[in-house]
Amino acid sequence: MSAIELENVRRIFRTSTGIFRRRRKEVVALDRLSLAVGEGELFGILGPNGAGKTTTIKVLTTLLIPTEGSARVLGLDVVRDTQRLRRNIGFVFGGERGLYYRVSGRDNLHYFAELYGLHPDRIGPRSEELLGMVGLKDRADEKVEGYSRGMKQRLHLARALLHDPSVLFLDEPTSGLDPIGARELRDTIRQLHERGKTIVLTTHYMFEADSLCDRVAVINQGKLIALGTPSDLKGSVSDLSVVELEVFGVSAEALTRLRALESVDSVVVEQREFRQLLRVQTPHGERIVARLIETLGGVEVGRVGVREATLEDAYVRLIGRLE
Amino acid sequence: MFGILRSSMLLELRQLATSRFMLMCVIVQPFFVAITTMFMLRHRPDFDPVYVVVGAALSGIWSIVLFEGNWIIGGERGAGTLEYLVGAPSSFMLVIGSRLVGTIVFSLLSMVLSWVIGAWLFGYAITISEPGGFLMSTALALVALWATGMVLAPLGIMWRTVSTFLTVLEYPVYALSGFLFPILLMPGWTRSVSVVLPPYWAALALHGTSSGESLSLSLSVVWGLLLLSTAAAVAVSWPLFRLVQRRARAQGTLALT
Repeated sequence: MSAIELENVRRIFRTSTGIFRRRRKEVVALDRLSLAVGEGELFGILGPNGAGKTTTIKVLTTLLIPTEGSARVLGLDVVRDTQRLRRNIGFVFGGERGLYYRVSGRDNLHYFAELYGLHPDRIGPRSEELLGMVGLKDRADEKVEGYSRGMKQRLHLARALLHDPSVLFLDEPTSGLDPIGARELRDTIRQLHERGKTIVLTTHYMFEADSLCDRVAVINQGKLIALGTPSDLKGSVSDLSVVELEVFGVSAEALTRLRALESVDSVVVEQREFRQLLRVQTPHGERIVARLIETLGGVEVGRVGVREATLEDAYVRLIGRLE
Repeated sequence: MFGILRSSMLLELRQLATSRFMLMCVIVQPFFVAITTMFMLRHRPDFDPVYVVVGAALSGIWSIVLFEGNWIIGGERGAGTLEYLVGAPSSFMLVIGSRLVGTIVFSLLSMVLSWVIGAWLFGYAITISEPGGFLMSTALALVALWATGMVLAPLGIMWRTVSTFLTVLEYPVYALSGFLFPILLMPGWTRSVSVVLPPYWAALALHGTSSGESLSLSLSVVWGLLLLSTAAAVAVSWPLFRLVQRRARAQGTLALT
């Protein structure tokens, strides 16, 4: 049975600019998006900035009304059954905001526990349990304004779990966290999944989606462009290898020449201080390395490596560019 | 419901107690209003220190109701907490209403401070002529001002122009409501504006029961009008809160990003 269903959901944002000559603009954030997430599934939504990931989460958490189409969570309509639905879902948006900074972490939890209708006898023990789970017990009585970004993110997660929701929406929860903080948060998400919670997760980190999610959807410009398990998506690039070339001062012309090669599927450039890392997707693996270096002309080449394609490579192939 | 009221009120008190601007509204401003008015008027034969104490207190209460009412939802939006409040199953109107109860409780500081200035700093005997009536008037006045805040809250977030307009209403309402001097000193046409302002009826009831000045209407009628203004404000605020939530969800304006 599906815990979450989106059917042909369109969401259009209308904005206007100018004082005397007002110009109206429409942005289609979701374009007839249809998805279903099973009960107990950990479902990832991937896509570039502005693809519609956060809009999807906001529609499902009742914070946005779809312009067209319908969405249900646990069989409850996101527009009509808002109060009942809100009792059964928890959500976390990425970033540091959304907490009361001038009070302690514990007070933040107590306040939201009241808003979620927890019995007064349960508020204290439940807050303690969650503070322990997210590793904030020792700092719980300090004002939130003194917390690090990671601590705030963990407090957000604890807040979202206060009423023990069966469905959890996490919008880029590890964004901006240090590697250890991000790993701890991923471990917590994994534990929640093991306890049977349905989790929808948006992320920019492909390895995160690969290691956590049962299935992922890739969306771009509000449209679903791929859906499947991480293995399915990786399978779509199983014919490819990735040649990574470290170069110094590569020109636009050299990149154009590289992209024009028949045996090259795509080229992604990542700037790294004074050098660039070129990721060349190709079916020919190491056999093409010499040809690639030759095509680059006189560009200084440093380290060269060849590896199997990953979920990130599948994503790049689908989206056509790397952010 | 009681839990939400209590916790929202406490949260509001903590937030206000650390806000320099709100502390200025509730402490610094009544302090200056009370001191300057007492220095200006104390040599007049008809000078009534109780009138000044009550007027200065009302100025602090009105300022904080006006600003916090106008900005409370926008402040939550700016802090990124608005989505979490609206996304919770509790009634949003109840949450904001409870927060504004905290605002009203906090505003009582200005009443205490004004009394301290009059009684201790200037050494006047601050005697309330009708203590029972004054207590009842204070309670009804505070409820009416809370209800005014409940109208300001959705109005302030829905239209930016309205919010800007509201912020300049601080001093005109002092004058039109007769906080520090009788509105009889104002041009006659302003009476029609004064009578629709809950702060006017609040000032009338408080001045009447504290200074013992004769009221143009009986005290029970003034109380009745305070209750009526409260009921009217709540009746207006209820659909406004629904409209705010509906519009924010339709237009996607719950968050700044």
